[in-house]
Amino acid sequence: MSEGHGHHHPRPASAVELRARALEALLAERGLVSTDAIDAVVELYENDVGPQNGAKVVARAWLDEAYRERLLEDAVPAIAELGFGGAEGDNMVVVANTPTVHHMVVCTLCSCYPWPVLGLPPIWYKSPPYRARAVSEPRAVLREFGLELGDDVEIRVWDSSAEVRYLVLPMRPQGTDGWSEDELAAIVTRDCMIGTAAPTANQPAIR
Amino acid sequence: MDGVHDMGGMHGFGAVVETGGELAYHERWEPRVFAISCVVGVEGLGAGPGGRAVREEMDPARYLAASYYERWLYSAEQRLLGKGTIAPGEVEAMMERLGAGEAMPGHHDAAMAERVLENLRTRMAMDPPPEPARFAPGQRVRVKRMHPPGHTRCPRYVRGAVGVVEAVRGADRLPDRVVYGENLDPEPVYSVAFSSQELWGPGDEPAWRVSLDLWDSYLERA
Repeated sequence: MSEGHGHHHPRPASAVELRARALEALLAERGLVSTDAIDAVVELYENDVGPQNGAKVVARAWLDEAYRERLLEDAVPAIAELGFGGAEGDNMVVVANTPTVHHMVVCTLCSCYPWPVLGLPPIWYKSPPYRARAVSEPRAVLREFGLELGDDVEIRVWDSSAEVRYLVLPMRPQGTDGWSEDELAAIVTRDCMIGTAAPTANQPAIR
Repeated sequence: MDGVHDMGGMHGFGAVVETGGELAYHERWEPRVFAISCVVGVEGLGAGPGGRAVREEMDPARYLAASYYERWLYSAEQRLLGKGTIAPGEVEAMMERLGAGEAMPGHHDAAMAERVLENLRTRMAMDPPPEPARFAPGQRVRVKRMHPPGHTRCPRYVRGAVGVVEAVRGADRLPDRVVYGENLDPEPVYSVAFSSQELWGPGDEPAWRVSLDLWDSYLERA
């Protein structure tokens, strides 16, 4: 749906919103950018591409040891087996948490993020506090997210400021024996796959 | 360039977790700006050096004051102006028309939508690394002490530091020069791990490790 068709503004448009609409309007009026193309991209990342994709990858890896090995060995084709891939997932590496190693991902320079499996990044991921602090005080950052790790757990931070995009494979929580792939995927939140949270058996996924 | 976008290790920005921060965006215009940027790229409507390098060149105070997609709006506009796709003053003129109550014009081109979606579905992988690359996994390397004025993927906080090559990720053309239109051969890109002690000195937290993917040109033997 394009702006201006059935979309209500509860308050006057801000200067930046007006500027954004003006740029779209200018390009549409010239026939340079199609409204369908803009709508299609917006809808792609709102409906089809998001952390639900990554959660399926994680759940499959928890259930299928051969898949897990393929995923950790060469992530792009393993992720493509489930039908996911494309822009910002061109070069992927999956890193697996263990009882003694916890991975977390940041992009200090910008906002690099594995779109095909996680969608578009949350505001906090792109914001100065996370970009500044994830590399220089990761434990303090994780504590803010409510994740306390023992001193015996080594934190490995991946600053994905180049072309490789990283996905964290969290540990399967206790109390999930016998769960189906769909049930497992439902507890794998986005933050678990960035490395700022850990899945638990009794917590529904918050996207 | 050593701009405010290069944030690793900076102090004073406050808490990470804030109300509403879990969303991808707050307002409806934001994903549309993201989409416009995608279309500008796929349809070749903008000039180099690419949105990311343009955003890094924003005035630092403005960069920090702007929201994330405000920066994307800035880079889309600058790239369109740079190529001459739009002219100075045209966005402002349209703002006045819309502000006066004119309806949003639409343009329909389903083939363009398909081209853009196809582009987003297409993988553009790095080349395989050369055999052998200059550095091998396990080797110690030092990041060059340098001060590049343009786009770079080598953050300030690793320059001068010694790390260990963990893997050779592939081969890619050096972004520092390729974004400005130079023709270059691909060079190896290495995953290099640094100890927290090496990067930040002694601290209160138990030691951790930071890994980055770095182009061969950024590194020297240690």
